[in-house]
Amino acid sequence: MAQMWITMGPQHPMTHGLWTLRVKVDGETIVDTDAELGYIHRGVEKICESRDFTQITPYCDRLCYVSAMTWANSYIYAAEDLLEAEVPERAEFIRLISAELQRLASHLMWLGAFGPDIGSLTLMTWCMRDREMFLDLLQELGGSRMHYNYPRIGGVKRDIPIGFADRMIAKIKLFERRIEEYEMLLDESTIWLVRLQGVGYTKAEDMVDAGVSGPNVRAAGVNYDVRWAHPYSVYDQVDWEPAVEKPTSVKGADCYDRYRVRMEEMRQSSKMILDAIEKIPGGKNTNYSTGDEMILTKAPTRAPEGATGFSNYECTRGASQFFIKGGGEGRGKNPYRLSIRSPMFITIPFVADTMIGYKIADIPAIMGSFDPCIGETDR
Amino acid sequence: MGMRVTLEQSSSAAESCVAVLKERFSGSGIESTVEHHSNAFKMPFVRIHATPQHWLAVAKFMKYDLSVNYCSMVTGTHFPDGPAERGWEVAYHMMRMPVSNVKPHTNTTHVAENLSGSDIPLEFEVLIALEQGDEPTVPSIQKIWVGADWNEKETWDLVGINFEGHENMHRVLNPHDSPEQFHPLQKQHKLRYHGYNEMYDDPQGFGRKPADEGRNK
Repeated sequence: MAQMWITMGPQHPMTHGLWTLRVKVDGETIVDTDAELGYIHRGVEKICESRDFTQITPYCDRLCYVSAMTWANSYIYAAEDLLEAEVPERAEFIRLISAELQRLASHLMWLGAFGPDIGSLTLMTWCMRDREMFLDLLQELGGSRMHYNYPRIGGVKRDIPIGFADRMIAKIKLFERRIEEYEMLLDESTIWLVRLQGVGYTKAEDMVDAGVSGPNVRAAGVNYDVRWAHPYSVYDQVDWEPAVEKPTSVKGADCYDRYRVRMEEMRQSSKMILDAIEKIPGGKNTNYSTGDEMILTKAPTRAPEGATGFSNYECTRGASQFFIKGGGEGRGKNPYRLSIRSPMFITIPFVADTMIGYKIADIPAIMGSFDPCIGETDR
Repeated sequence: MGMRVTLEQSSSAAESCVAVLKERFSGSGIESTVEHHSNAFKMPFVRIHATPQHWLAVAKFMKYDLSVNYCSMVTGTHFPDGPAERGWEVAYHMMRMPVSNVKPHTNTTHVAENLSGSDIPLEFEVLIALEQGDEPTVPSIQKIWVGADWNEKETWDLVGINFEGHENMHRVLNPHDSPEQFHPLQKQHKLRYHGYNEMYDDPQGFGRKPADEGRNK
């Protein structure tokens, strides 16, 4: 049978963004793949070299348009390493809550986009409905639906509003029941099982060697999580366990495991938020004014030459990392070099290799199960 | 309940790694130290200053003796005004993760406080200074960690560091038909419109000139 190259993308429902997957097929079987990225490269790293440290946060929000809060937090921890800022504990709790709310919204966006790939359009409408609850909560914190500019070096911009805690608890409790609804819809759907089980096997060690991280590795049966391995924030004080799956094959995790691990992760995030809001220092129904020392401490604005900052952060798709060198323009007011490590940038070429041997019809299932986001990939 | 790797665990792991590295690479100009972050829990990490000629040996030692299994990030930096021996710097961030394949229907649930030896997650930072010049070159570690492959592609594409021995090097973020020798994160390329006054005086931008006008790009 003659082999040929098929170009999928940049405009293809499978891509979940702008990139191109070129596949070489023999009949229906994939024999070679090639990923092309860079369609929405915006040069964020270069732009940041002429912005001062507080001005960089909005750019980091826009790295990933479904997970802005975690990316901004990731940058903030690197900047705090560089500028040696202390963070009040209440601010750490608020950051934890905001990041986990964002994780719920992001996983719902993933599930909502993954459903139509597999043939379940109902899922899209359900997930968008529930994601709205968390976007409303995040809007109460940051003032906008997608790009919040909420964390600050040394704390957070504003305290949680009065009544936020009660609204959040009600929504999370509702959502915990909704997760069961999703499972009833999906785990008993023949289409869902047939298209996901036994497809896209990846082993834990191969993934780590290739630089894949986060839920994708936990799906393969290891509970490695940056939140306990390279700790930040107050994750050790709240009640949660890393979500981890038991893969059914020696070949590792399949698409179904990766779906299950994200469902479990949503449960754990809900649990974490409910616990954190009760333990928050200063009380859940108090509102400290902006700039109060309970939520924000003063941080230096300049970093000397030779100083570096690094953060390793569990983003919704894996470990996002920032590496900042101080001593840029304006006597250290800007970073000299800011480097961003995106988990999906490393994962997409790995997934392209994973597809070899499967059929063309499996491509949306395999690609979608890794949760690609092109905004952070191309930076 | 949540858990985390403690400072003592991490410090002892970092110190034993540094001791092993010092013993193996004594007298070759490779310095390794235990450093601490200044955010969150002030976690320690291992910082290694390596040289391009010893880098492959150090990398193999890290992978096979220190079980560093994760190459997460490669950063190139251009120092056009730096000293002659440090015109460029390549920084590698590596992680050690307690991850191994599991048998079917089982999983590994580590308890952070009980980890010991080479199971303790640890961060490594390798800094390699390169001389001033137009051809900064380090050996590629693509064969040692698969994850270094696309990181090195990106670093070459954006910063212009050459990775000797890297197979299938090509542009990843810039357009594939970008001019040769064009690497936007080198410091001779200026952002065009970043003067604030200019921005406010002429918000439409009709009167602006690129900051690098007349420069041969």
